[in-house]
Amino acid sequence: MSEPTAVVKKPKTFDRLRVLPQEIWSSIFRHPLPDSDLGRSQTSFTNFFLHIHPVKVDRHTLKPWFTMGLGLMSFFLFVILIVTGILLMFYYVPSTQQAYDRMLDLRGSVAFGTFLRNMHRWGAHLMVAVVFLHMCRVFLTGSYKKPREFNWVLGVVLFLLTLFSSFTGYLLPWDQLAFWAITVGASIAGYAPVVGKQMQFLLLGDTAVGQEALLRFYVLHIAVLPAVMMLLVMVHFWRIRKDGGLSRPEAETAVAAVAQEVPKPKKFGLQGLVRGPVLNAGSSTENSVYSWPNLFMAELFVFVFTLAVILLLAMFFDAPLEEPVNMTHPPNPAKAPWYFLGLQELVSYSAFWGGVGIPGLMVVGLLIAPYIDRGRKGVGKWFAKERLLANTLFVSFAILNVILVIIGTFFRGPNWEFVSPW
Amino acid sequence: MRLALAIASLLILLVHGSVFFQQFFFRWERHQTAYFDQAKSLSKNDTERAALTDRSPRIEQTIVTQFGEQRVDRCITCHVAADDPRFAGHAQPLKSHGYSAALGDKKKDNGTWERRHKFADFGCTVCHEGQGRGLQTHYAHGEDHYWPEPLLGFVTQEPWRKDFLAHLKGKEYLEVGCAQCHTEENFAGTPTIAKGRQLFFANNCYGCHKVEGISDGTLGPNLSEAGKKFKIDYLWESIVEPRANAVNSFMPKFNLKPDEVKALVIFLKSRKGINYTETGLERYKLRLADAAKTEGGPAVAAKTLTGGAELIDKFACTACHKLDGKDGGISPDISYAGLMRDEKWIHDHFRDPRAMMPDSIMPSFRFTEAQFQAMSAYLAGRKTGVPAALAGEALYKEVCARCHGAKGDGLGPIAIYLDPSPRDLTKTSFMNSKPRERFRKSIQEGVPGTSMPPWGKAMSEAQVDGLLDYVEATFVKAKRSGQKTRKVPETNPVAMNKASLERGEGIFVQRCAGCHGRKGDGKGPNSLDILPRPRNLRNAQFVNSVDDRRLFESVLYGVQGTAMPAWIDYGLSQNDVGDLVNFIRGMNQKGRK
Repeated sequence: MSEPTAVVKKPKTFDRLRVLPQEIWSSIFRHPLPDSDLGRSQTSFTNFFLHIHPVKVDRHTLKPWFTMGLGLMSFFLFVILIVTGILLMFYYVPSTQQAYDRMLDLRGSVAFGTFLRNMHRWGAHLMVAVVFLHMCRVFLTGSYKKPREFNWVLGVVLFLLTLFSSFTGYLLPWDQLAFWAITVGASIAGYAPVVGKQMQFLLLGDTAVGQEALLRFYVLHIAVLPAVMMLLVMVHFWRIRKDGGLSRPEAETAVAAVAQEVPKPKKFGLQGLVRGPVLNAGSSTENSVYSWPNLFMAELFVFVFTLAVILLLAMFFDAPLEEPVNMTHPPNPAKAPWYFLGLQELVSYSAFWGGVGIPGLMVVGLLIAPYIDRGRKGVGKWFAKERLLANTLFVSFAILNVILVIIGTFFRGPNWEFVSPW
Repeated sequence: MRLALAIASLLILLVHGSVFFQQFFFRWERHQTAYFDQAKSLSKNDTERAALTDRSPRIEQTIVTQFGEQRVDRCITCHVAADDPRFAGHAQPLKSHGYSAALGDKKKDNGTWERRHKFADFGCTVCHEGQGRGLQTHYAHGEDHYWPEPLLGFVTQEPWRKDFLAHLKGKEYLEVGCAQCHTEENFAGTPTIAKGRQLFFANNCYGCHKVEGISDGTLGPNLSEAGKKFKIDYLWESIVEPRANAVNSFMPKFNLKPDEVKALVIFLKSRKGINYTETGLERYKLRLADAAKTEGGPAVAAKTLTGGAELIDKFACTACHKLDGKDGGISPDISYAGLMRDEKWIHDHFRDPRAMMPDSIMPSFRFTEAQFQAMSAYLAGRKTGVPAALAGEALYKEVCARCHGAKGDGLGPIAIYLDPSPRDLTKTSFMNSKPRERFRKSIQEGVPGTSMPPWGKAMSEAQVDGLLDYVEATFVKAKRSGQKTRKVPETNPVAMNKASLERGEGIFVQRCAGCHGRKGDGKGPNSLDILPRPRNLRNAQFVNSVDDRRLFESVLYGVQGTAMPAWIDYGLSQNDVGDLVNFIRGMNQKGRK
C-alpha cells in the first residue's frame, strides 16, 4: 500500500524572517493605515491612544474658531511640563542650601539645562493663560450647560490646580523673586478669617517661608498636584465623550436627540444595560466626519503648534534668576506671581475682601454658574444672543481681572504706588 | 492645514538644531582647544606634548570647602592657562595669572615661581568674587545684574549709575578679597582698606555706625555685613548721596574726594561679617576681645592722650562741628561753647546728646569718662567771645548764616541736620506776629531743646540788637503792624488732674495727632508735607522752657507762617486748651519718657 506522502511544504526560514517585521508591526498596530471607512473606524477604535476619541466627530467640533484648540493646548502644555519637569527633577534638590546652586548649575553646566528650565517656566506661565482662555471659550459658547455642568466644575477645579501648581513651582528656584513672591502670595492666604493663619502655617510648615516651605512646595509641585491633575484630566476627557462630545448648536443637538433612540441590540452587551446620559456617547449626527484623519490631523497641528511656540519662547527668552534669597532685604515692591497680582492689587485696598472675599466669591460663582444659568438656549455658539446677560457678566468679570493683573504687573512701583511703566 | 503643520514642524526642527548646536559647541571648548594647541607648540618635552594630545576639553573645577561656604569654581575651564607661566603674554582668557612677591609667591632658585595661594586650594572667587559655577562670561563674571558679587574691580553691572562706573573699577578693589582672611589692621597687602578704616574714624562714621570689632555706633545702620549685603555701586551712592536710597536719612553728606570715597567703599565691602580663616570658637573669643576693645573708644592711641584739645582733634569732632578755623559743615559751631554752656552741661551733652536736645543726630560716643571730662574741661575753658568788632551783616554771616542761611530762609548749609529746623526769618507773617522782645530773648538766652544757643553770653547786647535790626531790615522787610491784643491767660486756669489729662489726651488724639503724631513727637502722618515741621511736644527742654501763655496763644490763635491753625476757629474753648496744655505738660514731666 502505497500512500502518497503528504507533501507539507515547510515554510523556509527565510520567508519567516521576511514577514517578521510585518508581524511585529501588526502586533503593535492592529490595523494598517486605513483606506476605507471601516478601516478608519477600526484604527480609531483599536488604538489605545486614539480610542479615547469618537470614531466620527461632528463637523462643528472641527471648526478651528469654535474651540481654537485651547483645551488641547492646555493638555499638551501639561504634557510638556511633565516631561521637562521630570528632566529637571534629576538636577534639583529641595534644600535651601543647594537649590540656588542647582539653578546656577542648570544655567551654566547642565546640558540643555537653561533650555529645559526656560521651557518649563514659559510652559507654566502659558498654561495658566491658556487654561484661563479655555475657560472663557467654554463659558462664552455656553458649553457648560446640561449635560456638561459637572465637567465645567471639573474644569474650574483644574484651573485652580493649575494656578496652585504654578504657584508652588515659583518657589523652587529659591531666588529673591521666588522667595518674596511666595511670601506675598502666602500672606494673601493668611487673610482668610479664622483659619487663615492656620492655613498659611499648614502651607509653609513654619511662620515664614523657609526650608519647610520649600520642601512642602516641592512635594506638592512634583507629586501631589500633578497626580491629582492627571486624574482630573482623565475624568475631564472621559466626561467629554460621555456627555456627547463637544457642544454643538441646538438644531444639531435636537437631531442628536432623535438619533439617540437607537434600537437596542438583541444581545445585551454591558453598554446595553446602562441607562441614562451615558447613551449620549452613542449618538452621532448626519453632519459628522471620520476622526481619522480629520480630528487627528487637527490635534497633531495643535500639538506641533504648542510645541513650536514653547520652543521658540525657550530659545529667545531666558527664565529669570535673581539674587540668592536674602530674607532681610525685600525688594520694593515685593510682587506675587503675575497671575496673583490682580489679587495683590485688590489686597492693597482691603486685605480681607481682596485676598479672600472677592476671589472666594469668584470661585464659588464659577463653580455654581451652570446650576444657576439653566437655560437651554445658546449652546455651542460664540456670544449667543440668548445669553447676552451671562456673557456680559462673564466678560466684564474676565476683563476686570485682566485689568487688575495688568495694573499690578506694570503700574505698581515702590510702596505699591502708581507708576507709569514708560 | 498641512502647510501650517509643515511650517510648525520646520520651526521645531530649527530650534532643536540651534539648541543642539549651542549645547555641543561651547566657547570654553574653543578656549581649551586653543590652549592645547599653543601649549603643544610651546612645549619642549615629549611627555608633556603627548599628555596634551590626549587631553580633550572638559569642564574643570575646583571645589573649595575651606573658606566659609563651599565654593565651586569653574573659572579654570576657560582660564585654563592660569597656572602656566608660558602664557604670561597672552590675551585673556588664556593669560596666566601673574606672580608677585606681594601675594606671597616665592621665586625659586631655578627662576620659577611658587604660588602662595595655589588655585587648587583657594579657587578663584575667594579673591576675585564673581560666580564660580558659571561657564558663560556673562554669568561667570557676574555681569548679570542680579548677581550680588561681580568680579571685584573688573566688572560693572548694567543698572549701576553711569557716573560712578569710572570709580568702581581698579585693582584696589581686590583688597576686599585679601581682607577676608588677612584681617590685621595694617596688613601690608591691604593699604586701601587701612586708609578706608582711617577715614571711617576721621569722618566720625564710627560714631553712628556699628562695625563689629571696630565701632559700635547705634544711630545709623549696622555695617558689620555691609560688604555682604550691598554692591559697591550702592555703597558709593550711599556715601556721596546719603538720601539717594533712603529719603529720610539724616546722614551728613561728607566732603570727600573720590579716592577717599573709594577707600571707604573698599573698606565697607570688606566687612562681610565672617572671617574665612577663623573657627566658631575663635570667632567667639575674638568677639569678646572686640567688645573690650571698642569699649574705650576707637583708636587705641587716643587712650594715651590726655589733653582735651588733642582728643577733640583725634576724635574728629570737627568732621562735623565748627571749631574756630575748622568746619565740618554738618553740626553747630562749638567755638563759643565755653561761654554759652557750663562744663557740666557740656559733659552731660557728651554722655547723652539727646538728653539735652531730644532730636539731635549727634551720636553718643563711647569714650572713657576721663576723656569726656578732659574734652568738656577743654571746651568749657575756651572763653573767647564773638569778636566785638563784628556787627550787623558781618556778624550775621559769621554766626547765624550757618543755620538760618545767608538769605535768612532757614536753609543754611547745616540746616537739614538740625531738628527742629532753624527759623525761616523771611516768613513775614510769623515774624510780625511776635513782639521784638521775644526774638531778642531767643537770641540772648537761646531756645532750650534746640540748636539755638544763648548768644547773649558770647556777644554784647549791642551786637544782639544790631543782629535783630539787620534781620528785620533785610529779611522781614514789611513794617511791623501793631500787635493784636489777645485774651490769653497767663497761667493755665484748668487744674492738672487725671480727668483733665484724659480729656486732653482725647482732644489731642482727635485734633493734634495728625501732625504732631500720636505720641506727640511731631512725626504725625501729615508732618512729612509740612515745613517748618510740627513741634516735637516731647522735647522736654523746650516745652518746659515756654510758659502757659505762649502755649495757649499758639493753640488758640495759631502760629502765623506755619501750618498750625487758630484752633479757636475750630471750636476749641479755653478750657479745652487748658486740658491740652495739661496733657502736653504731663508728657514732659520728669520720670516720664
